[in-house]
Amino acid sequence: MTAPLPPVRVEKALALLPEIEALGPLRALLVSISRPDERALWSSSGPYLTLGKRGVQPEELRRRMPQAFHVITEHLQTLYRAYVEALECQQRADGGGAVAALLRAGHGEERVGRLSQARAWYDVALRVSQALQDRRPEVESLRSLGELFLRSGQYAEGARHFQRALAIAEAEFDQTGAIAACEGLGEAALAQSQWTGAQAWYARGLRLATAGGDQRQIGRLERHLGVLARHQGDPTVAGEHLRRARECFESVDAAEEMAGLLNTQGQLEAQLGRPQAASGAYREALAWLQRAPRDAGLEVTIRLNLAELHLEAERFLDGEEEMRRAEQVAIAGNLTGRLAQIYTLMGKLRGRQLDETGFVFFEQAIELSRMLEPSPTTEAQVYVEYGLFRERLGQREEARAYLERARELYGSVGDVADRRRVEAELEKMTA
Amino acid sequence: MLRILAVGAEGAGSGGLLHGIRQWVGEGGVEIEAAPDLPRAVRQLGTGRWHVVVAVLGDHSDDDLAWWVDTLRGAAAAPRLPVRREDFLRALRRARPITEAAVTLPLVEPHAVGQYALVGQSAAMLDVYRLIARVAPSTATVLVQGESGTGKEVVARAVHINGPVSSGPFVAVNCAAIPENLLESELFGHEKGAFTGAVMRKIGRFEQAGGGTLFLDEIADMSLALQAKILRAVQEREIERVGGTDTIPVDVRLIAATNRDLKEAIKQGRFREDLYYRLAVVLIRLPRLGERGDDLLLLTAYFVRQFAERYGKQIQAISDRALELLRNHAWVGNVRELRNVIERAVIVATDDVLRAEHLPEEFRGEEATLPDRPEGALLTLAEVEARHITRVLTHTNGQIGAAAEILGIHRNTLTRKMKEYGL
Repeated sequence: MTAPLPPVRVEKALALLPEIEALGPLRALLVSISRPDERALWSSSGPYLTLGKRGVQPEELRRRMPQAFHVITEHLQTLYRAYVEALECQQRADGGGAVAALLRAGHGEERVGRLSQARAWYDVALRVSQALQDRRPEVESLRSLGELFLRSGQYAEGARHFQRALAIAEAEFDQTGAIAACEGLGEAALAQSQWTGAQAWYARGLRLATAGGDQRQIGRLERHLGVLARHQGDPTVAGEHLRRARECFESVDAAEEMAGLLNTQGQLEAQLGRPQAASGAYREALAWLQRAPRDAGLEVTIRLNLAELHLEAERFLDGEEEMRRAEQVAIAGNLTGRLAQIYTLMGKLRGRQLDETGFVFFEQAIELSRMLEPSPTTEAQVYVEYGLFRERLGQREEARAYLERARELYGSVGDVADRRRVEAELEKMTA
Repeated sequence: MLRILAVGAEGAGSGGLLHGIRQWVGEGGVEIEAAPDLPRAVRQLGTGRWHVVVAVLGDHSDDDLAWWVDTLRGAAAAPRLPVRREDFLRALRRARPITEAAVTLPLVEPHAVGQYALVGQSAAMLDVYRLIARVAPSTATVLVQGESGTGKEVVARAVHINGPVSSGPFVAVNCAAIPENLLESELFGHEKGAFTGAVMRKIGRFEQAGGGTLFLDEIADMSLALQAKILRAVQEREIERVGGTDTIPVDVRLIAATNRDLKEAIKQGRFREDLYYRLAVVLIRLPRLGERGDDLLLLTAYFVRQFAERYGKQIQAISDRALELLRNHAWVGNVRELRNVIERAVIVATDDVLRAEHLPEEFRGEEATLPDRPEGALLTLAEVEARHITRVLTHTNGQIGAAAEILGIHRNTLTRKMKEYGL
């Protein structure tokens, strides 16, 4: 009897797979069924394991292919049904229904990370909505587009859509639409470090939400204001906003919102130099998350924050363990973009230990951030940390080259604050 | 004072557990606090030091159990509700055992290699020391073979430090850790513009190790194409940078290591036979921890002292039971696994004795798993599954996520099975 062939490394498997959008579900399946090489767990390369070094059995991929076909069929069915529904709505002159169906299809595309496809659906929805007398569907379409632009790091474009949504919503007395637009405008301003603008938009949204009395919306805006105050370096005000947000969420038992809020609370505590309280908040956030519908992205965020906390306290073992948990969540949830963040933090950890082989994590992170639907912001974050890693190891020329690349990438997406941060690092290096 | 945190033990679904606990453990010398559910318990968990947490798993039992296991680094599943007094007290005893007999940790004199150390007096290790002493003074290429975690790099460093090039650098490259497309430039360096991302000239590890030792760890993980280039470097004593045309002479002592059977890899056509004979001029085979007898106690003592100093603890002894558990463990990861287990144990230890409860839960799980069966007895499918899960959990050092990955099941399924089998 012949011995079974060893699994194929993911790096080799992905190299065989062309970057074709239609193969996305196959790529996702391949990543999610990949396993760490059992022999490598205790080997000296074990601590450096990345996605590329995991193994995949072609036979298992073949066996699990029906699962991928099922996902594809289901997704296509959702899209086709949404289209037919939109068509039926148009036939009976229900323009609002048609827009809602088109937006639903777009949201479906967004959920599976197909952002350009989502945009195509939203564009059609917007065009249809602009011909309607009722302008609420137009507000909804603009809002969906605005959120999509924010997600892709195009903040100015996102803000432009939210501005239009707000103007229409106010003219139409659409309070929900107006609050959402204010929230989006605040997000866009915050992402571009425009603190005053963000404050104004969130405060305006909060006034509208308070008048409406929706605790969930009030809580969300209070939380945003807390995040903003934290960025502005005002922990007292941040703490007060977060406390009020907590009251709102607790009153409606909003588990997912509670998890997000406690994550922010943890970040605030960490900023204040209270690691114990921060760790407690993150743990509580994870506990609330279990009460909410699965949100792998938020779980990864919380675990990475916890890991960062351990890293700052030089508890490298705990930090690495938390990062590995985040990695498992991200792989199972096909969150390749988040994997890039995880590996960046793992590289940072190795840099703190002055371990040169840590460069393998940054290389993997760069590769991941360039895969389908590339994210310049993620890539820039990787280059910043890669540069700092090289500098820590005394490799200044390489450090400079990586930081310059990060500056270029931040510049391309209009992220002024981060670009300045990188420039400051470059100046420090020259001094 | 024994402090117990009871979570979800009040109310209709708990079968009056809180009331029961109060009666069973008696009020004197015991402090019991209650929390309604997991999210609300987290804050209380952070406010004080609890000896025992009793949690009733409600509607989200699998997720909650996984959370507790992650947070408390281990949890023992109790019987179903309603809980009987005897079952509860037995579980309590298991979580908080009575005072145990302990042995004082011996003082260990390691064969120090800088910050690394070779510890052990077993016959197998004495052979290794003798071989190192014989081979180190020459410049012969050495191949170190041994399972993961047996200390191949420490041996390589010992050969370097006791050899003629000890004043030169010791450069280690882990061939399995580096992506295949980057390994060549890592070893041989590259010229500026040789490929996208080659922003400047890079000096490779062969050149960095000039006048010293180059240690190629996990050499079996190299592609055949790269093996050919290594062979040329070993034979001709010269290299070429990626994208370069100049031939650069290199003067390094080469030590390679592998955890694989290279002869088998040669048969499978995965490793070049000519390279094998070039590398294995001297072959040092390292024993598994299981073959090293009483070295386990010496290594344990050495690591306990090392980590106690690092974490500011005063640990002088190890309990008989803890030592017994360490001796019965399979040690798939050899000394590296032992080091990891001891570091964790030192972190959680509270007094001057390292006890069984400081070891990962699976160690105690191994002891408490299924009832003993006569040798050769046939097992039920459930027994086989429970034993296999225990084995994998031990292998992953208790990490549920990693164990679930190896088993090819969802982590929630694994936690459910652990609960079902009382692991």
